[in-house]
Amino acid sequence: MRMSGLRPRISPLTFTFVLIVGCLTVGPVLMLILGSFSRGIGAFGVFTVEKYIRVYTDPSLPKILLNTAAFTVGSSLFATALALILAYLNVRTDIPLKGLFHLISITPMMIPHIVFATSWVLLLNPSNGILNLLLREVLGLKSSPFDIYSLGGMILVEGLLDLPIAYLIIAPAMASFDAALEEAAWVSGGSKFRALRRVTFPILRPAILASLALVIVRSLAAFAVPSVIGMPGRVYVLTTYIYRLISLGFMPDYGRAAAVGVSVLVTSTVLVYVYRRLTARSERYVTISARGYKPAIIGLGRWRYPLSFLTSLLFLVLIVIPVLVLLYVSLIPYVMPPSAKAFSMMTLKHWNYVLHDPLSLRALRNSVFLALVGATLGILLSTFVSYIIVRVKSAGSALLESLAFFSFSFPGLVIGIGFMWFFVRTPLYATIWALLIGYIATYLPYGIRPLTSTFIQISEDLEEASKVAGGGFLYTFRRIVVPLAIPGIVSGWILMASMFLRELSLSAVLSRPGTEVLAVQILRFADDSLWGQVSALGIVMIALSTTMVTLATLVGKHIGKSK
Amino acid sequence: MGTRSPQHRNGMEIKVSALTKIFRSPSGEEVRALKEVDLTIPANRIFTLLGPSGCGKTTLLRCIVGLEVPDSGEIAIGDTVVWSKKQRIFIPPNKRGIGMVFQTYAIWPHMTVFDNVAYPLQVRRLPREEIRRRVRETLKFVKLEGLENRPATALSGGQQQRVALARALVSEPKVILFDEPLSNLDAKLREETRRELRRFLTELRITAVYVTHDRLEALTLSDLVAVMREGVVVEVGTPLDIYFRPKHKFVADFIGKANFIEGTVESTSEDLIRVVTPMGPIACRRAEGLTPGQRVTVCVRPEAIAIDRPGDTSGGTNTFRGRVVSLLFVGENYEGEVAVGKTILAIKTNPAFPIGEGEEVSVYIDPAQCHILME
Repeated sequence: MRMSGLRPRISPLTFTFVLIVGCLTVGPVLMLILGSFSRGIGAFGVFTVEKYIRVYTDPSLPKILLNTAAFTVGSSLFATALALILAYLNVRTDIPLKGLFHLISITPMMIPHIVFATSWVLLLNPSNGILNLLLREVLGLKSSPFDIYSLGGMILVEGLLDLPIAYLIIAPAMASFDAALEEAAWVSGGSKFRALRRVTFPILRPAILASLALVIVRSLAAFAVPSVIGMPGRVYVLTTYIYRLISLGFMPDYGRAAAVGVSVLVTSTVLVYVYRRLTARSERYVTISARGYKPAIIGLGRWRYPLSFLTSLLFLVLIVIPVLVLLYVSLIPYVMPPSAKAFSMMTLKHWNYVLHDPLSLRALRNSVFLALVGATLGILLSTFVSYIIVRVKSAGSALLESLAFFSFSFPGLVIGIGFMWFFVRTPLYATIWALLIGYIATYLPYGIRPLTSTFIQISEDLEEASKVAGGGFLYTFRRIVVPLAIPGIVSGWILMASMFLRELSLSAVLSRPGTEVLAVQILRFADDSLWGQVSALGIVMIALSTTMVTLATLVGKHIGKSK
Repeated sequence: MGTRSPQHRNGMEIKVSALTKIFRSPSGEEVRALKEVDLTIPANRIFTLLGPSGCGKTTLLRCIVGLEVPDSGEIAIGDTVVWSKKQRIFIPPNKRGIGMVFQTYAIWPHMTVFDNVAYPLQVRRLPREEIRRRVRETLKFVKLEGLENRPATALSGGQQQRVALARALVSEPKVILFDEPLSNLDAKLREETRRELRRFLTELRITAVYVTHDRLEALTLSDLVAVMREGVVVEVGTPLDIYFRPKHKFVADFIGKANFIEGTVESTSEDLIRVVTPMGPIACRRAEGLTPGQRVTVCVRPEAIAIDRPGDTSGGTNTFRGRVVSLLFVGENYEGEVAVGKTILAIKTNPAFPIGEGEEVSVYIDPAQCHILME
């Protein structure tokens, strides 16, 4: 028996999940803030502002802030501009090979950032980058023409990595937009280019700004590119600065790291807020106008094939070349350009090393465990949370939604430091469970997003019919809600598992001897310039992600069919 | 019908007392969807809740099944109180033992026809064999035998509707509820299904509560009709009562086209009541509790007004001279307007009868079909 009072109260179920999600998302932020005001990791709660004073008067900080600004804004502009061109070509023109454009949205799940960054180091580093060596040989140059270890190099690689995010924001906006507006501009006598500049661009402005904001958030949180490309070139940004505070010297200083982290978190949260405001508006725009027309397709004429060649080249750069470079480097004894000599020297020694290295094997085991178990637990939590967000209309469920999406703005490294302040005080410290909890907390929105949109599409009648037929809450959940939500559950699981498999920034803080994970192990090999091992392990990571994504997709299709 | 079909059961009476339901929008506005509703739905009858959208009929239905929690009042099904504010009782929908057919049918798309219908029995953990037997019988009853293994979504709209009915019937509920079940069918199929539904329900002899905004559906399907407006039950009666002898102007107007003529009671003697109106005195059917001098409204359906060539019968009871103002051909007849003095009457005539706009006509209204509203 249940009584509902006149005022809507928080039901025990909603309350439980508000508590769980609150601990996962607000918990580490609170610990981060408290930690930043504490005397030390061993003296938690002993109040001091010393950490803030020390870190914000550090004479190297202005340069780091400048680097961070250039890096984030640069990669954001680069990724967004490229995404605009690609989206326009795909959605609005008759360019051939449109299937390639779909690949762009799933690439990031296949090739982990750290692996991608490493393959660019292998190609373009000044001392023995393969492309540099080739060009020196061919053009007879004394020094390498490219230096990846620079701000420019970082922007290039981070921009390419964030291109899919920008594309996924801009392409739908482009597709849903009324070509009649453009046609009206041509008819009134303007040129096509003028129409593009005066009509198309302003209408796309919310999507463009959203893309800019989100890519800045991502590159602000980025750790793979700054550590693999930035650190060797001594180009430090905030994440690598924080990482140095906790990994170098005799005493890692989690207090100072937290004090810097707080401002990174605040910046990130503000930008995510801006992003969500912008997309809320553009989504509204999309729903109003999505009915009944197709955007006019523009003939490219003689530019059709040259442009198609350029985009194909881009996909080559994004997908094929990184994989080939890694495969090649994993099979040669030391880095050299491809030649008859190189192929004659091919060896499996790096593979042998990696596959017998206890650290690498343990990292592999841990990462697979975290991906499988973590994604399963994560998606279980996401399913309940999304269900409450969509179906229970109360103040409690609105609170749950804000809490769940809060972690969307978490830079992994910073939130890892918050978690560190917490785990150090528990028996979870240095266990795989610490990583598991951290992963789920940080990546919760990636499970919740596909599931909320799935639940919104499931008519409430179907559940009510089950209740009337005699099914209780859990029975209905098991037999009606979950089977109907399987597509969303599977895509959420894939997303979470592939993110957990390659997780780097949170792990860089929380991983301890015994809880190594793949990405951290690759980072270690890269620090020691063991490029063969880096490549072999990188290939293992790509193969695992790809298998996992493929398997889960097949399973999802099978379940979808048999039910 | 099969030997052990799910018919011939005894349904239960539903008693709704002082039921109030308030909806609150996020901005804090309150909408009173039900206002102190008192209603007794007799056992084994087809009872229709009829009214315009937003009148609270669906809310009342959802309160009875338990999908909506009222704010005050009491609901009893048979001898069981399923909701009471005072006694703090709320029996959840899955424990009320009610069958329901949803407006959208709510057929589960991931299941076969068999699983959809078997679901209420599977919930109750009945033996497999019994489930199979009862599902087969129920499907036979709704004429869907042989379609057990079809995916439910592969059926036509009308078939899906019958799956929904079978699912509502299979667990032999005491009461079955229908929430506008025909509104998603096209006009022709709707008529067919309406007739079929009437036959099913008559055979079943079960308490059925049917919600609709379609007056034709209400009139053809029901034993009793309750007309609702703005959260209040205005009037309850048989379809004939509601159509020919409504008590309220709202009901008369909602259930079909009607002419309302204001007037004053002149005499209540004899078999007829004379009402003086702007178009002249009208003799009306007897009604209780009227005194001379009282202001009343006379209600006349357009089909009760006979039109003829002018001249011959003028001066008789309820015979008036009028002029055709407009005429509209709508298929089986003409719908038109005739002016008698300053009063405009809506009429219906046979298209074979040759009259044209602007012509003088004689208008006769059968006193037996002049109905005085009590409002």
